[in-house]
Formats: sequence, structure tokens, C-alpha cells
Amino acid sequence: MRGLKIFAATALAGFVAFSGGAEAKDTLRLMTVFDAPTVKLWEPVLAAYNAANPDVEVKMETVAGSGAAVYPDVLRTSMASGDPPDVFFMWGGEIAGPFIKAGQVEPLDAYYEKYGWEKVVAPWTIDRITRDGHKYGVPFHARGMGLWYRVDLFEKYGLSEPKTYDDLANICSTFKKDGIYCASFGGKFGWQTMRLLDYFTETTCGPEEHDKLNMLQSSWNQPCVVAAYDRMAQWVKDGWLVPDFLNVAPNDARMPVYSGDAAMVFEGGWFEGVLKSDEQPLENYKFFLPPTGHTPVRYSAFPEQWMIPTSSKHKDQAAALINWMTIADTQKQYPEAFTASATIGVESDCAVAPRDCEWKKLLTSDSATYPPTDQAFTKELIDGFFEVQDGVVAGKITPADAAAQMQAKAEAWKAKQKS
Amino acid sequence: MSEITLGARRPVIVRRRRWRIPVTAIPYLFLAPATLWYAAFLVYPMLQSLYVSFFDWDGLSPTMTFVGLENYINIFAVDEVARLALWNNILWTIGALALPTFFGLMLALALNRRAPASTLFRTIFYSPAVLPLVAVGLIWAWMYNPHFGVVNVTLKAVGLRSWANGWLSNYEMALPATFVTFIWSHVGFPMIFYLAGLQAISKDYYEAATIDGANAFQRFRHVTMPGLAETHVIVLSLAVINGFKVFDLVYTMTYGGPGRSTQVLGTWMYFQTFQYYHAGYGSALAWVIAAIVLVIAIPYIRRMSRG
Repeated sequence: MRGLKIFAATALAGFVAFSGGAEAKDTLRLMTVFDAPTVKLWEPVLAAYNAANPDVEVKMETVAGSGAAVYPDVLRTSMASGDPPDVFFMWGGEIAGPFIKAGQVEPLDAYYEKYGWEKVVAPWTIDRITRDGHKYGVPFHARGMGLWYRVDLFEKYGLSEPKTYDDLANICSTFKKDGIYCASFGGKFGWQTMRLLDYFTETTCGPEEHDKLNMLQSSWNQPCVVAAYDRMAQWVKDGWLVPDFLNVAPNDARMPVYSGDAAMVFEGGWFEGVLKSDEQPLENYKFFLPPTGHTPVRYSAFPEQWMIPTSSKHKDQAAALINWMTIADTQKQYPEAFTASATIGVESDCAVAPRDCEWKKLLTSDSATYPPTDQAFTKELIDGFFEVQDGVVAGKITPADAAAQMQAKAEAWKAKQKS
Repeated sequence: MSEITLGARRPVIVRRRRWRIPVTAIPYLFLAPATLWYAAFLVYPMLQSLYVSFFDWDGLSPTMTFVGLENYINIFAVDEVARLALWNNILWTIGALALPTFFGLMLALALNRRAPASTLFRTIFYSPAVLPLVAVGLIWAWMYNPHFGVVNVTLKAVGLRSWANGWLSNYEMALPATFVTFIWSHVGFPMIFYLAGLQAISKDYYEAATIDGANAFQRFRHVTMPGLAETHVIVLSLAVINGFKVFDLVYTMTYGGPGRSTQVLGTWMYFQTFQYYHAGYGSALAWVIAAIVLVIAIPYIRRMSRG
């Protein structure tokens, strides 16, 4: 009996101690789209934060692999059910729009003042995430995209990085003659093919008009847009792209490049990490910014940001976590976790990640960028854009009809907003 | 039950009235937990969804705007993709009625005998039915990959290079190619139902028919088919219901593309609700699907109840 009493007392004490501990510690949920290797790189980062902040435990939740197609759904469901994460990952631009419009995202202007983030991260990334004069997020990644190519194939055929669009066309033509596809794309979800079309629009319409198109301030039914669609149709018709790619998953588009059947792929700075995890020889891959024929040469780039839901019960702690993840001191300790950082003064180790190092220099310089269309448009409108784009690739829609259809979709969308 | 009051000269017996549950109520008591569960997790959300379908709502904001029947009218009068999706559902359902049912019946007939490996084959043919459709969709999407997928690689290897195709990237082929996956994953269901139905048919009928000189086809026509009448109702009704409910395979294999060519009502409802933030319109689409399925399911349920 005495033994039983001792056991009961110990168990009760343990329970009380455990409950007390659980009450003292706030759990901060951090939602991301990180894949397994990135999660691994982040484990020591979060462990360090947890160790330095005994009253908080940060737990990462990830929705890997789906890109912008599925992650917002998961986030929306968690918000609608009243159980959102305390800090969440989000791309820049319109993908965050519906959450902000619905009042689900906390404006962080006060925290910007408190922590001085405006002086910490690259200014262009803050411009991109500012909406109606308010800052709803803190940029942590600055991502740029370009054409990554196989160095061995370029050398084999005596090719060099193009300086003009005609140079690029000549490269594709040379590869085609030698039975190699110029580039590989995965058309499923639409956004990878969009990168090429965005580039064509930048070249045919020029920076100013391209920006107006993205803001729906200019008609899509105009000759320069027709010319962009025409280039897309021509690239398909001339066999410069790996065929039948419309429903190929974007990640699978890398396979023809790895096998040497295609020479290029339109990817971002993150591709260096992908090459490493796919065990590809890094020295065999370089990138260039596709030449636009305009000055300055703009390239596709976007920030990624941290946001705090309005309904988070730990907003101050969430902001403190964001600050800790944003400052250069933290990021310098974990360079592999903070590649493509938007933070000023965080340099990549050029020996470890040479391509990221190049991107970092570009993205924190005064180089000009344009947003990918899927960050300029709402999901509903961009799906209309993808529908037209697919039609052009499949030869179902002529370039002229595509421009007209795109303008009709833009007008219908604007009318819907007014109503 | 009775109690004795102490302290009194003579014991007073207080009779407490015994509360009895009427016998007729007992089945309802047993049903109550399941009914409550059903009401909370199915009926209430359904009614809530019906309510939402009369509003313009993004699914996130606190404000909802009443629009009456506008969402329903838009489905049939304005939204071209919804009409395409409905047409795709009709095609899918016709296919679901014909092909997996036919193959299921043929497999059941072949395996309804005491052959050494019949159990093994039953397991093999039924096993795709237990796999999650998301996994099935992803695996088949890889198999259909135009560059390294096993379908095109095999066709090229056996000299049928001209047959190799961008199965899921081709506007005309994407839906049929996805449907082939549906057949593969769903043929096990009718097979199991038909096997059960076949085993319920008395052997006496076959013996009598054989004595009367009926050949194999005549036995199938006049004994097997009438004997499977109840099974046909179940199998065909489920095929129609599954045909209209299709979502997973289309979502994972084509994402409704290329363009919108493989959108079905289920995926279009998902896109509207979760991707375009039109929860009201998405709910209306859900109710259109539900109405179609109910119209088909009611005769099935009535038949089942009678059985």
C-alpha cells in the first residue's frame, strides 16, 4: 500500500511538473513550403532559437513540393478553421492578396518601426510586398530566375552565353540541328511555361509596357503581346522545346537536361541546391539572364516573405522570431539555410555555393527586375492566363486570338471586381 | 426496487415507480450515437454548404453577400468551364458504366471457379482498388511522362514509336488517358460484387439448364444474368455515383489541364472554392453534383431497402 502511495505521489508530482512546463512554454507554429533537405538545414536554426528562448518552442510545419498551387489552400483551410500558424511563408505579390483582403494577415508596420527592418532587407523586396501602403510581410528570400545551361553541351557546340535574343535563337537553332532540345519545361500548373512567356513579353513589349500589362493598365490585345505569343508558338513549332510538356510536372522537366537531351531549363537560384541534391556535377551548370534587348536588362525576380496571421495569439513572439530569422547575425551562422537571403550584408560562401553567390550579387545590386505574372495576377486570372498559354503551346489558339482572349479575361476579371 | 423507512412503528414500504424505456424506442437509442455523429459531421456541413451557396463569399472574410440563385444560374448560363466540366463528367460516367463494369464481370466469371490460383488472381485484380487514388494518380502520371514514362518507352522499344504520345499533354488524349487509370484502379470493385453475386446463384439452375441442352452462352444469358440482377443495380449505381464524384485522379494527373480540357465538376468546385476564393459558387457547384448523384442514388437506395 505504501508503495502504491509513493507511486501515486510521484506520478502526481510528475504530472504537475509536466503541466506546469507545458503552460510556461508557448508553441509557435511556423508554416513553410520547405522540402526535406531544406527542413534538415533549418533544424539547427530553430533548435538554436528554442535554446535561446526557453519560454517558446518553434515548431515547423511544411507543405513541400506543390509550389503556389496547393500551399495557399492548406493555409486558407487552417485560417478558416481558426487554427492558423503563428508565422507563415508566402510568396510576394498577388498570391498573398486574398489573405490580406480578407483581413487574415496582420499589418506589420509597427514591427517595422520597432525592429528597423527597412534597413535590414533589400529595398526592392519591400516594395514588392507593400500593399496599399502597408507592409504585411518581411522579405526573407530574394529569388531571381534565368536560363540554366549545360556547360558541356555549350562547349561541345562552340556556343557562348547570348547577348541578344537573336543569339539565343541561334543557340536553339544549333542545338536543334544536332538533335538536342534547346530547353525543357514542365507545363503542369502553368507557372514554369509562364517564365518563358514572361521573358518573351519583356523582350517584345519592353519594361514599361510589360509592367502596365501586369497591372492591367494596358490592353493585352496589342501587337507586342501577339509577338510574344508568336515567339512561344514558334519555339514549340521549331522543336526547340522538349515536346508534349504541357502536363509534365515542373520538377520532371529537369530530367531531359540531366540526361543531355535538352540544354537549358528556366529555373531560379534555388536550382543550385536542387543540382546538389540530385547529385549533378555543379560545375557543369551555369546560368545567364536571358537577353531582352532593352536597357536595363530586367530579369524575373520575386521576394518570399514571412507573415503573421491576424488571429495568431502570439503576434509579438512571432515578430521577434521573424526578426531573429531576418537579421544578418543569425543568417551568417547558418549560411546553407539562408541561401537567396533578402537581408543586406549576408554574403553567400562563393566556394560552397558559387551560383547562389552570383545570384546574391545580382539581387542585392541595383539590377532591375520584373515580377513573374503569377505574382502579378490573382489565382483566378492567372489560371485564365495559363489556359491561353496552353492553347498557344498546343496550337489550339493563334497568337492573335490569344492576345484577344487574354484581354477579354482581364476585362471580365476587372468587371467582376467592380461588381 | 423498494426501500424500508426505519424508525417507524410499522415498516412503510415506499414503492418507487420504475422508469421503463418503451421497447419500441430501444432501436432508436442504439441508433442515436450514429445519428448524432452523422448529423454533426455530414448533415450540418451539408446544410451549411447549401446556405453558403446562396451567397457571394470568399470563405475567409466575415462578410457574406446574399445573391439568391445567381450562383446556380451562373453555373448553367455563364460559366463555360462548368459546362465543359459537366460534359466531361457525363463522358466519364458513361465510360465508368461500361468499361470497369464489363471488365469486372468478365474477371468475376473467369475467377468464379475452383482453380489453383484463383484466390491469388482475385487479390491481384482487387489490389489497385485499395490503393489511395492520389498515389495511383502520381504513379500513372509518371508512367505517362512523354520523355521517360514506361508507356512511351515500351512503345518505342517494341517498334511502335509512332504510337508514343504526350498522353496527358494532349487536349484530346488527356481525359481518356486519365480514364484508363480509373479503369485500372476501379475494376476490382465490380469484380468483387459480381463474384459475390455469382456465388449466390444456385448450381441447380445451371444443372437444370445443362440437362435442358443449354450451351454456355445460353446459361450465361438465361441463368447468370438474371441471377445477377440485384448486383447489376448496385454496381451500375455505384459506377454512376463514382463517375460524378471523380476528383482525385484528375487533380493529381492533369490538374484540370491542358488548358481546362480535363476539368470535371469536382475539380472545378475545388478550384472555385479553394483557389479562387469563391466559396459560395463552389458550394453551388457541390450541390449540383450532389443533386445529380442523389437523383441516381435514390433508386439504388430504394432497391437496396427493398432487398
